[in-house]
Formats: sequence, structure tokens, C-alpha cells
Amino acid sequence: MTYTLKDVRAFLAVGFFLLVPIHNFSSGQSSRDRDVAVVVNDDTPVDDLGLAEVRKVFLGERQYWNAKLPVVLLIRAPVARERDVALRVIYQMTETQFKQYWVAKIFRGEVTGPPRIVYSNDLQYELVSAMPGAIAFVDSRNVHPGAKVVRVDGMLPGDKNYPLR
Amino acid sequence: MMRRPWFFMMAMLFAASFANGQDTPVSDQAEQIKALLARVELLEKQVAELKAAQVASAAPGAPAAATPVNPAPSAQPSVQPVRESQTQTAQEKVRQLETQYPSLQIRGFADADFSATDQKGTVSGFNLGELDLHVASALSRKISYFAEVTFNAQPTGYAVEVERNLIRYDYNDYFKLSFGRYHTPIGYWNTTFHHGTWLQTTVDRPNLVMDGGTFTPIHTVGFLAEGNIPSGGLGLSYNFGVGNGRGALIERPGDAGDINNNRAWVAKLFARPAKAYGLELGGSVYRDKITLPTGPEYREWIYSAYLTWTKGAPEFLGEFENVNHRNIATNAVANSDAFYTQFGYRLPWFERSVKPYYRFEYTHMPLSEQVFAYQPRVESIAGLRYDISSFAAFKLEYRHLASHAAQGGNPAQPALNAVFLQTAFTF
Repeated sequence: MTYTLKDVRAFLAVGFFLLVPIHNFSSGQSSRDRDVAVVVNDDTPVDDLGLAEVRKVFLGERQYWNAKLPVVLLIRAPVARERDVALRVIYQMTETQFKQYWVAKIFRGEVTGPPRIVYSNDLQYELVSAMPGAIAFVDSRNVHPGAKVVRVDGMLPGDKNYPLR
Repeated sequence: MMRRPWFFMMAMLFAASFANGQDTPVSDQAEQIKALLARVELLEKQVAELKAAQVASAAPGAPAAATPVNPAPSAQPSVQPVRESQTQTAQEKVRQLETQYPSLQIRGFADADFSATDQKGTVSGFNLGELDLHVASALSRKISYFAEVTFNAQPTGYAVEVERNLIRYDYNDYFKLSFGRYHTPIGYWNTTFHHGTWLQTTVDRPNLVMDGGTFTPIHTVGFLAEGNIPSGGLGLSYNFGVGNGRGALIERPGDAGDINNNRAWVAKLFARPAKAYGLELGGSVYRDKITLPTGPEYREWIYSAYLTWTKGAPEFLGEFENVNHRNIATNAVANSDAFYTQFGYRLPWFERSVKPYYRFEYTHMPLSEQVFAYQPRVESIAGLRYDISSFAAFKLEYRHLASHAAQGGNPAQPALNAVFLQTAFTF
């Protein structure tokens, strides 16, 4: 069986139309599916925070939800997508700058320790559920049912202009 | 006629693939870590499912099928043991991560330097910089202790200095109260970089806050109240401190007791506007009564203002300070001024680890100044900082220093040129 140039062209055309949707599905998922939610412990008295306020909390400038409830920062270990989004959108720092920021913050006596590092979503969920005042970034696809998700600038993950993505 | 559309489609396909490739991370190591993290999560889920199945099968009358890890609210009563088991596991993990009191943390800063100048009578060579040990310990959820001790090389040994030694009580974000020896919240540099040379971009501190210098009272022994001020997006904060003020040696704060019955006070107000993340601006006022060992007494006012942008690309620090001394006996007044402006820029290459910088400093002192040693000067420094890792940096710096001719025909000192090489790190 021999193939003509026309057959090769037809084969490539079919391949192109098959590949493009697969490509879009696998690597170009809707950006809204990849939003990062801000999840807090159930007892935390916040439902809606501005992006600037989220930044203030994660920079350690706001350390108390109220006089009796300190903020407990949880952040995923390096390379996790939630951490990438936090560094890019919230901290606007590189990994090195982030580490240096917390060393300086502790040295200035403004905090006694950096955010707690968590290595998996499940552990993060368990800690947020169990630690009063805890706050964390969670990939919206991994938010457990019943978790308290905070609105950011009045928006939830999936909303059109949601800032954490 | 058909060739062009085919060619166009193929080009589009390749372009799309190429563009996608540009968006994805290129580091193999990062990909491997991502894969491992995904694997950890998968294993966690499997463990949770196995635990759930085990507990469910142990419960009397429970179905043999695996129970969902996160059951819906309408789930059957048999999942209760699963929840209890999960809660226990979570509580164990929380206990492991909970802060134990006291929780002592020690961090150190150090540097090693090389310097060479064209000043007559000096020699070039290496020297050990400051070894700075910092201790932070949470004593309870709201009480913490901080200390900073430095070791400075001297010809006959090391000079040990307790730089900070304070206990702090946090009531909330709006009110925190410290007692002990702290860095006086005048201006920006003194309370931002303290004594860790690794923290600052440059090799040395500006002249107006030079450690061991006299222009700014670097330390205060007393109490300090600080906190945020409810101000919305303006991001206002305050410091207010009362302490012994300058001691018999005016560069020291009188750790062992005040030299007179007058307490010094300092008030600082600063803003970090939410809409300009990286910007900080503020001002402070300091008031003291100085009693010199020779007898004369002076009233001292210090006013300072600063503006900083610390995002790194670019970095800008600018600080101005005016020191007013009035002789209580004669009412003779002297005003000394000093300022610096520092620019830096983290270059976009090498993971933003290279930062060239420049700083200009100016100190003006009138001849009528009787408290300070007469030191008018103009200084320019230019340098390059390279962060070799997250916790270590190399700095290469050129410095040109001149003391300008002042009023009354005082001659300027010869200009001085110097080169510094420093490696600074934290551990």
C-alpha cells in the first residue's frame, strides 16, 4: 500500500484536529479550575477579606483575628502550586526572597516563627480543621466538603475575576 | 492553492506546542518534586481509605465496603468511628506542630571582610566582622522574649555587647508592650536591619545610624508600645517608647541606670499603604535631656522622616534626620542634619540574585555643635551584592568619603577612597 502526498496531508489534518482539543484539555484547563482558595478554621471570624488584607495576614502584619485568637499561617512546601500562587500573587517574591523575608521578620522581633510548612493537602486540611485561627491556601479542586472558604475581594474560586490563580 | 493552508495549519500546530512548552516549568528537578508530591497525596488517600475500611469492618454491623473518607452529612451512622479515627490522627498531627513553651530559636549572623584604602597610615587586610547571635523564644501564646548579642573583634580580644534584651507582651495587633533594651524607633534603618549585615544590601550602615556613632541614639532602655492603627488601606502603625535616654557616654543608653532624672521619649508613626505594596513612609520625634560628664546639660530634639520602597526591583531607601541641641544654661542652639538615599536594583537574571546599588550620604554639623564631635562628611558608595544562596551573600563595594569644608573656614579633610569585599551570611 502506498501513500500519496494527499493522504499524508489528510492524516496530518485529522491528527491536528484530534490533538488540539486533547492538548487543551490536558494542559490548558480552564484557569478557573486552578484557582487557589483561602481556607480558614471554622472558628475564625472572617468570611470575606480583601486581597490586601490577605497579604497583610500572610506577611505577618496582622497576627490576631481578635484579642483571643492568633493567626496561624500554614503554607505548602516548595513546588506545590498553592505556594507558587502565594509567592507570585500575595508575597510577590522569589523563593529566596520569601525565606529572607521571614528570617528578617523574626530577627526584628516582629514574629517568633515563620509560617508552618505542610507537605500535603490532606495534612493541610487536617491542620486547618483542628487549629483555631489557622489559614491556608488550598487548590480549589482539593477543597474538602464543609471547609470554610473565605471570599477574596468578595469573590470565590471560580468567579471571573478571582485574584488567586 | 492547497499548499498554503496546509503549511499554515502545520505552523500553527508547532507554534501552539512551542508556546505551551514555554509556559511549563523547565526544571527537571521541580517536575520530579511535583511528581513526588502527587505521589504522597495519592498514598495519603490510599492510607485514609484503608484506615476507613479497617475501622468500618471492625464496627459491628458495618458494611464491608470501604467507607468514603469525607462522607456527606447524610452518611450512615457506621462512619462515626471513621470520623473519630480521623479526628484522633489530626489531633496527633496538630499536637506535633503546636508550639511548645518556651520555644527557643537561635539564629546567627556573621561576616568576613577585606578592606583597602588610600588613607595614609592605614593598611589593607582581612578582618572578622560582627558575630551576631539572636535569640527568640515564645514564652506563651502572647509573651515572647528577644535578645541580640554581638561579638566584635578587638586588638586584644572580643568586645561583647548586649544589643537587645526585651520581653514583649502582645495584647492584640493594636497594642504590644515591650520592656528592656531595644533599638530606638527613630527613622527606618535602625529598626529594620539591626546588626545583621546580611540583612542589609550594603557592607555597612549609613553614618547617621552607625553603630557606636553618636548622631542617633541607637538603643534605649525602657518600655516600648507598638501596634497597628485602624486606618483601612493606609496601613498606619505606631511606636511609642520611654526610656533612660543617652547615658554618660552619649552613644550608650545607660543600661545600668539613667544619668539624670529626666526620661527620654520617642514617638514614631509610619504607613504601609495597601495599594502600594512595598512602600513605607514614616516620621519620628525623639526628646531627651543630655547631661555630659563635664557638667553642661542640653535639651535634645530629634526629628526624622523616611520613605522606602523595598520590592528589590527597584529598591529605594531615603532617610533624613535633624538633631537640635539647646544648652540649658546659655540657650545656645545647634542644628545638625544628616540624610542618605540608597538605590538598588535586583537584576532579572540569575534568579534575581544580583543587585547593584548606590548610596549617597551627607552629614552637616555647625561649628556651634557642642555635644557631637565635629564630623561633617559627604560619602558615596557603589557596590554589587550577589546572593550566592538564600542565606549567604557576597558584596563588593567602592566608597568615596570627603569631609566638606564648613562654616568658619574649617578646611576639608583629604578625600578617602576605599574598597570593601564582604561575605555576609545567616545561620
